[in-house]
Amino acid sequence: MKKPKVAFFDFTCCEGCQLQVANLGEELLDLLGVIDVVEFREVMSEKWEGDFDVAIVEGSITDAHGAERIKKIRERCKVLIAYGSCATIGGVNGMKNGFDLGEIGKYVYGSSYHFFPTEETRPVHDVVKVDYFVNGCPIYLPEFKEVLKAALQGIPYHVPDYAVCVECRLNENVCMYEKGVSCLGPVTRGGCNSWCVNNGNICYGCRGMVSNPNQKGMKDVLTRYNVPLDQIMNKMGMYNRCREKK
Amino acid sequence: MSSSQYVILRKDNFDGFISRLSKLQKLVAPVSKGHNNFSFEEVTSGEEVAVRYIPTILPPKKYLMPQRETLLEFNVSKGLESTPVVEHEKTTIFGVHTCDIAGIQCLNMVFSTRPRDFNYLTRKGATTIIGLECNDYCDEYASCALVNANLPNGGYDLFFTDMGEYFIVHVNTQAGEDIIEAAKFFEEAGDDQLKALASLREKKREIFKNEVPIDPRKIPELFDKSFDSKVWEELGERCIACGNCTNVCPTCYCFDVKDEMNLELKGGRRYRVWDSCQVEPFATVAGNHNFRKERAERQKHRYFRKFRYHVDKYHRLFCTGCGAGGAAEPAWLG
Ligand code: SF4
Ligand code: SF4
Ligand code: SF4
Repeated sequence: MKKPKVAFFDFTCCEGCQLQVANLGEELLDLLGVIDVVEFREVMSEKWEGDFDVAIVEGSITDAHGAERIKKIRERCKVLIAYGSCATIGGVNGMKNGFDLGEIGKYVYGSSYHFFPTEETRPVHDVVKVDYFVNGCPIYLPEFKEVLKAALQGIPYHVPDYAVCVECRLNENVCMYEKGVSCLGPVTRGGCNSWCVNNGNICYGCRGMVSNPNQKGMKDVLTRYNVPLDQIMNKMGMYNRCREKK
Repeated sequence: MSSSQYVILRKDNFDGFISRLSKLQKLVAPVSKGHNNFSFEEVTSGEEVAVRYIPTILPPKKYLMPQRETLLEFNVSKGLESTPVVEHEKTTIFGVHTCDIAGIQCLNMVFSTRPRDFNYLTRKGATTIIGLECNDYCDEYASCALVNANLPNGGYDLFFTDMGEYFIVHVNTQAGEDIIEAAKFFEEAGDDQLKALASLREKKREIFKNEVPIDPRKIPELFDKSFDSKVWEELGERCIACGNCTNVCPTCYCFDVKDEMNLELKGGRRYRVWDSCQVEPFATVAGNHNFRKERAERQKHRYFRKFRYHVDKYHRLFCTGCGAGGAAEPAWLG
């Protein structure tokens, strides 16, 4: 069997997710045993002009140029994987959507902002069809590998649609609310094995919200622990701004 | 009470006993994690053990049905080769409260029903259980008197009761007796000590009173009448579907089975991981139909599973009154 050709691309992002992949270390070599990487800016300088089987796309679509480019990539590949919060839910780039685009352009680029036309931030699936999602900022490598294996086998991968709390409890963490700190775990999609809480941090909501968050229930939680709603909305805004326009 | 079944461990020997026990086989016990949270973890000395604790972050059922467990290893490079896996290790669990012992008794029934769960039963056979009595309520969430789980009722090898200066220990099985023999720190209980235990139990009858104004025998009937009640909607409105209530429940046992291929895609392992009827995808089946889409229906299912369905099937309530479900919910459905 010929090894499937895989190409990595990035749009508006910090390239942190591709760095995660580059950091796979020895496992990267195992991975290279089953796929043929034809383009990957972080680790090689070659560019690939032909078609390929799998496109792995990082970053949000934030301008017309990006929208054109992702459409061309979609035409050249059989399977498209969006990875990282920027690509899957808009992520931190979504914060821009809370401002007037002209204003924010001036703020960032000064008087020459006309030379940098910008659009509302969109996750990749708002522009082209996406076959697989690897949520998270940055991606959680064990999940990335699962998704890649699913894609290579042609079977579906379902991003877990339950709260981070589920995995957090299985990992026996003391709940952040018990420690007097607020956490976005109850409304955020699991799948990261409660990575941040395991390491002493709160959940920042980087994987996006569960499909059916209970807003009233979450308000009850905040009341029970005396957390102001603004504080949570602010934290939520870091990754989940793109959700609001829908 | 026959005195031959009771022995005494003086408190100044507790540390020696725990470290001796930890050398016999893997020993786990409740440990403080700060913020009034506790969990069962491996210990080697008495000072690590939290003798007074409230229900742990996960119940000790995790040693009988681990959160994640490999069931099968397979290779598909030439045909299909597969090897079943039973992960087990001889383990002593020290300090199990009566509610958690009751939970393990429920799980024993379920996993011994055909088709038997070989993995669970093998681990059960490799586990020694040392109970620890609650002399008083551990927190305001408990309702153990309602379901009669506040007093010891079998299901352990040894059972410890804290009498202040010493523990009085009920020896219930051969495995328990072996520990007493091997540990050497025990003395036979005298009449005074047996009397003191009897009066402690008397006092407990005063402290622990049915916490809910209902005759427990009427519970199944009450549930039959409340299938269409509005209360499920109210619970559903507040539930955030975090799954904490089922994960901490000593009697919940649902799991999901998944396959994980290795990177070369030539083989892999089949494993199971705890699942929860409270989460969105639990009842989603092929064709993307979810037959318990509403949180209200899922909450209803949880309560019926504890107080109604299993009464027909196993002739007992599947609630141990531990209160952990209520305490663990960020939303506190109570
Ligand atoms: S998801 Fe996070 S780590 Fe990944 S590219 Fe975006 S900002 Fe960077
Ligand atoms: S720490 Fe956060 S993720 Fe973990 S249980 Fe608490 S709220 Fe949920
Ligand atoms: S715990 Fe929350 S912020 Fe951390 S990786 Fe998981 S979803 Fe993202």
